[in-house]
Amino acid sequence: MKEKDGYVDYPEQQVIIYVEKEDGNYGPIQTGSYLSANYMDDYTLKRRNLEAELREQLIKGRISIVKYYMVLEDLTIFELAARAGIRKSRVKKLLNPVYFGTVSADEIIRFSGVFNVAPANLFQVILIESKGTLESNHILENKAEHISIAQSPTANPFVVLTKIEERN
Amino acid sequence: MAAHCESGTIASLLSHRGMEITEPLVFGISSGIFFGYFHKMKSFAFPTFIVRNKPGQMRKNIEKRLGVRFKTYNFRDPVKGEMKLDELIRQQIPVANQVDFFYLDYVPSWERVHINVHFLVVIGKEENRYIVSDAYFPKLVELDALSLEKGRFAGGNMSPKGFIFHVDSLPTQVNLKPAILKGISKACFNMLKIPIPFLGIKGIRMFAKKVTEWPKFARDTEHLSHEIMKINILLEDQGTGGAGFRFIYATFLQQAAAITGIAELKSLSEELMNIGDGWREISLFTARIGKNRDLGPDKLKQLSEMIYDRADVEERFFKSLSLAIK
Repeated sequence: MKEKDGYVDYPEQQVIIYVEKEDGNYGPIQTGSYLSANYMDDYTLKRRNLEAELREQLIKGRISIVKYYMVLEDLTIFELAARAGIRKSRVKKLLNPVYFGTVSADEIIRFSGVFNVAPANLFQVILIESKGTLESNHILENKAEHISIAQSPTANPFVVLTKIEERN
Repeated sequence: MAAHCESGTIASLLSHRGMEITEPLVFGISSGIFFGYFHKMKSFAFPTFIVRNKPGQMRKNIEKRLGVRFKTYNFRDPVKGEMKLDELIRQQIPVANQVDFFYLDYVPSWERVHINVHFLVVIGKEENRYIVSDAYFPKLVELDALSLEKGRFAGGNMSPKGFIFHVDSLPTQVNLKPAILKGISKACFNMLKIPIPFLGIKGIRMFAKKVTEWPKFARDTEHLSHEIMKINILLEDQGTGGAGFRFIYATFLQQAAAITGIAELKSLSEELMNIGDGWREISLFTARIGKNRDLGPDKLKQLSEMIYDRADVEERFFKSLSLAIK
């Protein structure tokens, strides 16, 4: 690849690629990610659609919140079980909302650790109105225009402080 | 910054101790180039592939081939793991950490996925935040102690178990030529001779064959589009230096030609650069058809043929490379 073909303007995600320089030597250049520069909108659209579809199933009681996060984070049952340190058969059971009621506090802490969300978020989906539609804060990642929602852990593993503020 | 987290981490640790070595040399000497296709694996939600050798293998191969010694540590207890890390950085020793990428909060959210084999270098600590040099970031970043702990002690496939390492000792003299030849020889073996149908060139052919079956694994068209576009990520964006490590390996061969005096390696480096351009075309093609949701059997067949073509040219290439160092 020639050096001139390697440059992409995308400061948000920089990568190093190796190219043929003008003097014929090969070496590294720092550039932007081609995929992110050109296809980020498409990625975001797919992620929002997936979340909305999973949320719909969650609300209708077809899946549990464990499955909601498992699919969103692209994990298999096997991998989730290994990461949470919970038996695979038990995880499989907890994907079903009928059995989610049997979940223990310890299992909640384990799952919230794997998904990197507050334990409280395994019992709620925080929605924010954004551009006329309701969007999950998990997907918006606290980047909604008018509202800021910050969750901070406390020394009590079961309690999270959720701070909701208007953005200036 | 570096192209790849493991080779970049090793190169930066060695450079810090005064050994002049480039990232492509680390990658090549450690036989980093590879291919493996995984159609069904318990740990992966969808078929996938790798374009480098097993994580951790680069460090082991560099030790064997250059005589460098790394001191390594594993921990069960996160508290002990943190204490040892803090002790080392207090002694001003840069320490490589294996982590799950998902917990690194300085990483843009779209990049954050569960991968247990990311490497970064911790160089300091201020209050409760570590100062991190990450090959994928242009500047030093800060990471809070809890996030680093979550990353170091994540469970699952290839879990880090708190793994850290640093340079223990360097040899008084390094002879690069035999190390380069050994690295090339092993890379050729890995690509041509491993008798497992999903590894090396055989793996590229299996990928070409099986990619047409991907629709049956997908939930819907958007899911298939996402997975097809991930081919681009795996080849270009996940720290490969472009074209699934083919560009960095071409650079290694160019540098190897100068060090060993084997002129043929230079022409082979040019050939591999061209082969890499073909992989790059595959990356662009997958991005395009994924975005357009143009994922019918004809397009997947076209993709399959492009991959078969890479297998054919790489088979010829690695056979020539193998002969060039005899």
